[in-house]
Amino acid sequence: MIIANQLTKEFKRLKSKEGFMSGIRNLFNTDYAVKRAVDDISFEIQEGEIVGYIGPNGAGKSTSIKMLTGILVPTSGHLEVNGIVPYKDRKTNAKQIGVVFGQKTQLWWDVPVIESLRLLKDIYKVSDQQYKHNLEMFNDLLELDKFYQTPVRQLSLGQRMRADLAAALLHNPKILFLDEPTIGVDIVAKERLRTFIKEINREQKVTVLLTTHDMGDIEKLCSRMMIIDYGQVIYDGSVEQIRKTNGASRTLVVEFEQELEDFAVPRTELVKSEGRKKWYRFNRLEASPSDLITFIGSRYPIIDLTVEEPEVEQMVRTIYERQGQKVGVV
Amino acid sequence: MRLFWSFTRQAFHNTAVYRFEFWLQLFSVFFMMYSVFWVWKILYKQSPGAFGVTLEQMVTYGILGMALETIFHPGRGPQTYITEQIRSGSIDTDLTKPLDFHVHMFARNFGETIFRFGTLAMPSLAIGYLFLDFRLPASFTNGVVFTISLFLGFMVLFSLNFLLGMLSVVTLDIRSISWAYNALVRFFAGQMVPLWLFPGFVGTLAAVLPFKSIYFIPLSIYIGKMNGIEAWQGIGFQLIWIAVLLLFGRLAWSKVHTRLVIQGG
Repeated sequence: MIIANQLTKEFKRLKSKEGFMSGIRNLFNTDYAVKRAVDDISFEIQEGEIVGYIGPNGAGKSTSIKMLTGILVPTSGHLEVNGIVPYKDRKTNAKQIGVVFGQKTQLWWDVPVIESLRLLKDIYKVSDQQYKHNLEMFNDLLELDKFYQTPVRQLSLGQRMRADLAAALLHNPKILFLDEPTIGVDIVAKERLRTFIKEINREQKVTVLLTTHDMGDIEKLCSRMMIIDYGQVIYDGSVEQIRKTNGASRTLVVEFEQELEDFAVPRTELVKSEGRKKWYRFNRLEASPSDLITFIGSRYPIIDLTVEEPEVEQMVRTIYERQGQKVGVV
Repeated sequence: MRLFWSFTRQAFHNTAVYRFEFWLQLFSVFFMMYSVFWVWKILYKQSPGAFGVTLEQMVTYGILGMALETIFHPGRGPQTYITEQIRSGSIDTDLTKPLDFHVHMFARNFGETIFRFGTLAMPSLAIGYLFLDFRLPASFTNGVVFTISLFLGFMVLFSLNFLLGMLSVVTLDIRSISWAYNALVRFFAGQMVPLWLFPGFVGTLAAVLPFKSIYFIPLSIYIGKMNGIEAWQGIGFQLIWIAVLLLFGRLAWSKVHTRLVIQGG
């Protein structure tokens, strides 16, 4: 469905001049800074997949999405979306994709939601029947009818995102690009958005590529995730796999009766110490929690203890940091 | 065609939100029409016959020029929209539409213009007709040719504005340029003072620049200063400039697209 091969995008950003007649002086300004936002990325996405595309801010996620939607032209490399090269044939590509930018809206700010949808119906040349059918579906799944007479600027963020999703799916696209679709949305609204995306994916076989900072999105939605940083793909695989390779570590959290000096426990690493609590990290395959508890319990009285599994977020952070050290930044 | 109509409807909804701004605009047009009316009256009293047309023609020219500013105001158009979209980064959402960007901007601008023509320009002219000696077209033919020429004038203005919008994509800021541009358009388009009153070199310059397509040609046709062959030459002049400017617009867009920088990306 989506093929990217050695995709690279460099930005030449003008070092803008300021002050008197800056507009005119910038016309003749040739002072550029080059930044490589996407660096030799290759991947392939199959029809019907939901792929999470994650990475820290400025990693190159949005730039990739913009190339896939045909907004940006790659500096080099090959790109194909359902057989179409987006930047060469932006219009044909636009008909088969739906896009939501969480930070921006494609709806008209001052106009009721339904009016924006009507305009989009004409822009995408959606048939009356298809329009009606889709609107019913949006009412069903997104409860769009509760606020579609409201101007966009008066909507809550969760409602706006629902409206934007509806707008992106009005023309039955084959592929849906979501750039941070749950950003700033509360837990309940997030859950609703996720259910809807899942539903659309299952019912209509829509391929979804979504960027997010919320690991909940990834765990709930994605069968696969790609982690990108410094413009490069540093991980590509299933969520389970990342659990398996990074998931053997556990943390034993012990609360003692009183504050204690730090002390070592064999086969563990003391990672944190705060008040009467201490955190010991260990490998599940090397040490058994019961042995550790016996060891500690025989020395000091324990009030409470828990064994924590690493969250996906923690594992991803480890991967980010590892990459940072490799590149020598951090 | 459906698309144009859709944008017109959208403009209606948009304006319905800012009702106060709408009435304020209508009021300021009346005020400007009234001023033009009196200025020409006084000037004609002082030196009648010095301006090449009758007082009635001149007042009609002036009032029409003021009323049409509601749709042709140089500070309002695709360049304003493009600059705003670039600044906020929302240009992304325009580029994910299956529309040619040039056509999209045209449809948007034309839809809005039609709406403003119906709700601002027409009522202003009706008031002008009832209270301020604004006259109907010199003849039926002049009226028809005027309508064609007015549309072509819109095309020229759109093309110029679009080019300015392209500039804003490159420089990311066109405030200082816009200011000069707006003044230039107002002056050379002959909105307030018809070009035949421009002296020597300035007159020659105004005659070859595209700006006169916006007000001067349609207005002169309307009042019957340009008739027959001369009127069709005016139309020809507009067509040539439209062809040139649209071509430049397309070239600029294809250039700009490849090096598009999106702020906040």
